[in-house]
Amino acid sequence: MKGYRKYFTTKLVWFLTTFVFAFLLNFILPRLMPGDPVAVITQRVTQGMTSQSGAQAVYEQYAEQFGTNKPLWEQFARYMANVVRGDFGVSFSQYPRPVAQILGASIGWTIALQFPAIIVGWLIGNTLGALAAYLKGGFDKVVMPVSIFISNFPAFGMAVILLVVFGVNLRWFPTSGGYGFDLIPSASWGFVWSVIVHYQLPFWSVVLISIGGQAIGMRSMAIYELNADYVKYARFMGIKDWKIIGYVFRNAMLPQITGLALSIGTMVGGALVAEIIFSYPGLGYTILNGVIGQDYPLISAATLIITVMVLIANFAIEIIYGLIDPRIKAAQAD
Amino acid sequence: MGKVILEVKELTTKYITRFREDVYAVDHVSLKVEEGKSLGIAGESGCGKSTLALSLMGYYFPPLYYTSGDIIIDGRNISGMDPDDVRRSILGKEIAYIPQAAMNALNPTQKVIHFVEDVIQAHNPKATKKEIYELARERFHVLGLPEEVLHKYPVELSGGMKQRTVIAVSVILGPKVLIADEPSSALDVTSQKMVIKMLRGLMESGMIKSMIFITHELPLLYNVTDHIMVMYAGQIVEHGAAQEAVFDPLHPYAKGLMGSIIVPEEGLRGHKLTAIPGVPPNLKKPPSGCRFAERCKYVKPECKGAAVAIREASNGRTYRCIFTESELRETYQNGA
Repeated sequence: MKGYRKYFTTKLVWFLTTFVFAFLLNFILPRLMPGDPVAVITQRVTQGMTSQSGAQAVYEQYAEQFGTNKPLWEQFARYMANVVRGDFGVSFSQYPRPVAQILGASIGWTIALQFPAIIVGWLIGNTLGALAAYLKGGFDKVVMPVSIFISNFPAFGMAVILLVVFGVNLRWFPTSGGYGFDLIPSASWGFVWSVIVHYQLPFWSVVLISIGGQAIGMRSMAIYELNADYVKYARFMGIKDWKIIGYVFRNAMLPQITGLALSIGTMVGGALVAEIIFSYPGLGYTILNGVIGQDYPLISAATLIITVMVLIANFAIEIIYGLIDPRIKAAQAD
Repeated sequence: MGKVILEVKELTTKYITRFREDVYAVDHVSLKVEEGKSLGIAGESGCGKSTLALSLMGYYFPPLYYTSGDIIIDGRNISGMDPDDVRRSILGKEIAYIPQAAMNALNPTQKVIHFVEDVIQAHNPKATKKEIYELARERFHVLGLPEEVLHKYPVELSGGMKQRTVIAVSVILGPKVLIADEPSSALDVTSQKMVIKMLRGLMESGMIKSMIFITHELPLLYNVTDHIMVMYAGQIVEHGAAQEAVFDPLHPYAKGLMGSIIVPEEGLRGHKLTAIPGVPPNLKKPPSGCRFAERCKYVKPECKGAAVAIREASNGRTYRCIFTESELRETYQNGA
């Protein structure tokens, strides 16, 4: 256990260092974009105003409020102090809504869409891959080409195909939104049903895309493990096949867990395409709007959330891996 | 003569390649192993040693197929038995096998004790974890392995320790025959010695009743086994007591094989190493006459005619050559 603690500490230090740099970049990068968002807001507010000095005063007031007239390092210090208190500032593009409120409203949609989709895609993909490796023959000959075909689909392509086929032509499912336009979010059956119906197309577009890659990865891992020497030896010792298959798939699963954790970590980015095409009210859609509106606080906060999620996912993989794969532990103990 | 534990009569097995060609890797092989005795099988890579091992375990899974012959273990004929039944009732219990690549023979993500549990429960589903642990602990103790090994993952063990663990697990059910397929080839000399000592100890303590030791290292065979069999191209070419087979081989191939041993002795550095020229025949189309004829120094035209039968020599030795024992001895004397 001493070796494991050292392993844990090393990983933790690494992740904290990464976090500090990522935090810094999250702040600086959006602010390096050309253009002046405060000018855009001023223009919006001062429409129809004729007085030049009046517009100037409005501009200065906003600049003062957002802190954009201060040097960058001072802005950063203020930003950091606010973030620690959980305050991400006020959105530029949706002024005067606070960023925390905007993100809070959309993150739930993203997680509810992506998390089950990733898990379902992972489970189906790995099961298909494992079966293809084990059954070989005809099953493998069908699963493999189909998996390769599907996994090479661009995400938007899959979403558009589903949209056209099931939304436009067959009219089975609605084509956009998280729930019906005519509904107000409530705990009624009508609303829940509307959410479920709107959920299907974006959900399956994410699931279908991820199945192929997972199946291919699992198949090659499982084939490799099935031919390992320990499989032969276990057979020579008279151990039953189903037990040996248990060994094989546990070992083949290990690298696949990395893939799972990574896609959970990057789920916000992964959601972007599906959310935009289906106008799903999630985080990806919000980020897109933030970038278009040069909304520094919104972009910084959203990318910060992505960063933290990726880091936590990575950290979790490393830690779980150290626990479930004795080879990692042994290598670290040296 | 002791009780015969394993008897193989005229066993022939083949591989079927993906192009539907038959390759007879074990061709009419007969052998006997008595209680308390060990048999060594020597020969170069690809001569059918390992295939013979699989064949006499009844382990027929594609591409390996049983063709003819009998395998009798302790009075029970297992030839023609369903390979899945063999796995259930013979392997591990009656015949145990130590694989060539024992280094990777254990599942890297499973603790040794859990594998032991799986092995024992495959043959005796009623065994409790506690009983198994007691048995494993006792066996490991007798074999000089620390108890901690049971609680470790294979990756945490050194190469030699892994090999000894595999041996200890292989014999945990007290098999009648232990087949060791090059168990020490990948080890350094110190670990090799420990493995050999361990195998000898298994015989002496009666934990196993008999042993078949497969290797290409002849000096090792002489140290470990009572009888030695030399295989060439799927056939037995020489079979006799260890002492005679090593120091007084009759078959020209066996002689060549013994001559290729590197012996570290003073004054021999300048000595030219002899190797047998040529390569073994393609078993998809074996030559009709003697299979060694193409590489034999003493070949005669009649060697390449009809198949060569096994001859008996003094002391119960057998060999496969058209020459009589005295003719061979004369040829060797003149040749050397």
